[in-house]
This record gives sequence, structure tokens and C-alpha cells, in this order.
Amino acid sequence: MATHFEQELENVTIKIFKMADLAIEAVTKSVEALKAADMNLAKKVIEQDTALDVLEKEIDEECIRILVTRQPAAVFLRLVLVILKSNTDLERIGDLSSNIAKECIRLSGKPAMKALVDIPRMASIAVEMIKDAFAAISEKDADKAREVIKRDDEIDELNLQVYRELFSYMIENPYIVSQALGLIMVAKSLERIGDHVTNIAERSIYYIEGKDIRHGSNE
Amino acid sequence: MNEKIRVDNLTFYYGDKPAIKNISLSVREHSVLALIGPSGCGKSTFLRCLNRMNDIIPNTRMEGDILIDNESITGHRYDITGLRRRVGMVFQKSNPFPKSIYENIAYGLRINGIRNRYEIESIVEQSLKSTALWDEVKDRLNESAMGLSGGQQQRLCIARTIAVKPEIILMDEPASALDPISTQKIEELIQDLKEKYTIVIVTHNMQQAARVSDYTAFFYIGDLIELNSTDVIFTKPDLEMTENYITGKFG
Repeated sequence: MATHFEQELENVTIKIFKMADLAIEAVTKSVEALKAADMNLAKKVIEQDTALDVLEKEIDEECIRILVTRQPAAVFLRLVLVILKSNTDLERIGDLSSNIAKECIRLSGKPAMKALVDIPRMASIAVEMIKDAFAAISEKDADKAREVIKRDDEIDELNLQVYRELFSYMIENPYIVSQALGLIMVAKSLERIGDHVTNIAERSIYYIEGKDIRHGSNE
Repeated sequence: MNEKIRVDNLTFYYGDKPAIKNISLSVREHSVLALIGPSGCGKSTFLRCLNRMNDIIPNTRMEGDILIDNESITGHRYDITGLRRRVGMVFQKSNPFPKSIYENIAYGLRINGIRNRYEIESIVEQSLKSTALWDEVKDRLNESAMGLSGGQQQRLCIARTIAVKPEIILMDEPASALDPISTQKIEELIQDLKEKYTIVIVTHNMQQAARVSDYTAFFYIGDLIELNSTDVIFTKPDLEMTENYITGKFG
């Protein structure tokens, strides 16, 4: 039977996974809305960001309570730390998705420049990264987390590609500068999302192996 | 830093039963080693081996070797009184002599051959200052030590221990009977004392081990399971057994 302490850890773990699900939904829907020029969906993404904000505060409070009352050590300490840290990253992913949705609304009514290809690809990689980062945590699979970190390079590469492509579009046709800049912002947001997932994956390696691999250290 | 204590293959028997089995470890000079583990794991027995306090218990036997500054202390002819002067001890229950505060410290100095009154007074003052007790007792040095609070008594016992200038201080749950403020003072004191002394402390309070020690040794049923830097023990111990103990999964 689980102790009260283990139950508390379980509860906050469930919440962080719920938050990861919401973040995945936000990224997916914001780019879907952009692709389909669906204003209602974009508005929904912005509205639903509140749920992430609420969860962020709840998770913080619960982690603080556990730290104060249980003074966890070893694997429990590392679990609380990975949750506490990932919490901030997930909330930021929510904010960045909202930014994409806002950009979608701003771009509404303007003629589509071209079919979106790279941006949806970036989004789907980001979503897979979030899923795998959290699978790494639940399965205690550090190799999976390392794969997530590597995939961030793909997103970075696509971001550059989008930038270069839109840059040449803008040179050819100054009338689309506003739209092109909007899409550059979107790609940049997705690139930032990749960075936040990378943070989560790095933290999950700390949780699993006790190693701090950030900034190229310890590996 | 130098190795202050080295223990080689130490086994200690109560009758035929080994209380600690084949323990080998070393303690660096000016460091704090915490011994943790469930009741009956042998940590206090181990501690008492280090100044041969177990010698007074009948029907016991020790195998292996203990070296302090590379010199064995386990020989039959070894000067045990001299050893206990070098290796002081503080117990769970404070045990001041039923004498004045001043005498509690002065007594040990006199039996160690210090006769000069001014020297004794100066050491009493220094010892009480280094245990942060001076300001609390300086106006009543001639009153009975039994009138002090539990926390003050324990700090007096530490003052008494350091007055004779030991090299090593052993502490057996020195704060387990104290309130949080007194506990905090003892913990602060341990951290100050390690600049001059090498300290080995037994504690049931794992947070205390995490706070005060540089190294932590986990004992379980007479075996040394893991000895590691305290940071490692409390964040990512090498062994699952240690992890299970410090996360409260057993013990």
C-alpha cells in the first residue's frame, strides 16, 4: 500500500502529466488553426491557456508543500525537482502556443501566401518531443530523453529553413512582409517550444540518473 | 586532506554475535562523517570502537584494525586513557557532572595535569565561547550545571570535550533529545568545530546528517552498505538499498 507521502507524489505527478497533455493540445491546435485559418480554434487555444496557468500554480504549491513537510531525498527529491522545473517549461509552451494562435488571428483575412509545410512539421516534432520526454520520465528511460534532446536540432534546422524561405519571399514581394513576419514569429515560437522540451528532457535525465547534463556538462 | 581514521576489516562481537561485520572505511581530517541506519544496525557500536568504549562491556571481542594517524589503537597495551583524550565523545543524553558549570570543564583539565588557575580559566572561557554558551552562563559559572536546560547541558558537554583539545569528536545522537532551537545550535556548532576537529556523528535524523556532514555512511544489520559524499547519498546514492532507506521505503 502506498504511504501518504507516495500518494502526494502520485497526485502531483498526475497533474504534471495532465499539464503535458494540455501543452500538446495547445501546440497541435494552434498550428491546426493557423493552417486552416480557423479563428474559433485559435480563440479556443487562447482561452484554454488559463487551464495551464491554474495547473502551474497548483503544481508549484503542491511541490512546495512536499518539500517543506516531507523533505524528500534521493529519487523522491529528484522527482519533485523535475516536476517543479518542467512545470515552468510547460506553462511557457502554453504561452508560446497562445502567441501562435494570436498570430493566426492577426493574419486572418489576408490571402494565404503558400501552403504551410515546414511549420506543421515543426509542430509535430515538438509534440512528439513532449510525448517522449514524459514517456522517458514515466518509464525512467534516460536514452529516450537523450533522443528528445537530439531532435531539437531538427526543429532548429526547420526554423532556419522557414526563415530563409520567407526572407526570399519578402524580397520578391514586399506586400507580404506582414504575413511573412507573422510566420517567422510562429516558427520562432515553435523553436522556443523545442528548447523548453529540451529543458524537460535534460531534467528528466537528472531525475533518472542524477546527472546534470545541461550546457554540455557531465556527458 | 589527510586520512585521520582508517578502519580495516573491523568486526565486533557481543558474545558470538557480530554486531558489525568486516567494516573498512577511512575518515578525512577536518571532515564530518555521519553514520545512518535503522536501530540495531551497528552504527553506535562502530562509533564506540573508535575510542574503545566497548572495552568496558564484558564478553565482547574485536577483530580487524583501527588506525588513527596511521597508528593502530587496537593493541592490548595501547594507552586507552590517552586515546580517549584524543578521541572525545558526546552522548545522546547530556551527562554533566553534578558540579558547577566551571568545574565541569576545569575538572578534565586538572586531571590532565593543568594546574595554573589562569590557564584553566582561560580554557574554560574559550571552550564555552566556542560552544556559544559563554554569554548564557558567564554570570553563573559557579552554579550547578544541573540547572541548565537540556540544550545548554549538551553544549556544556561538548565544551567539556573540546577543553582537553581532542583531535576527534564522536557524537552519538547529540541532538535527539533537544528542541529544534537547541538542535540548530548543536548543528551550527558541529559545522564550526570541523575546522579544528574530525567528527563522526551517529544520527537518526537524516536531515541532520544531510545538513552537517561531508560524508555519510549507511549501515544495515552490521554491514557498511554505502559510504559516499553526503551530497551524493541524499540526491543520487549509488545503491538502491541506500535509496530505499533514505526515502523511507524501509527501515
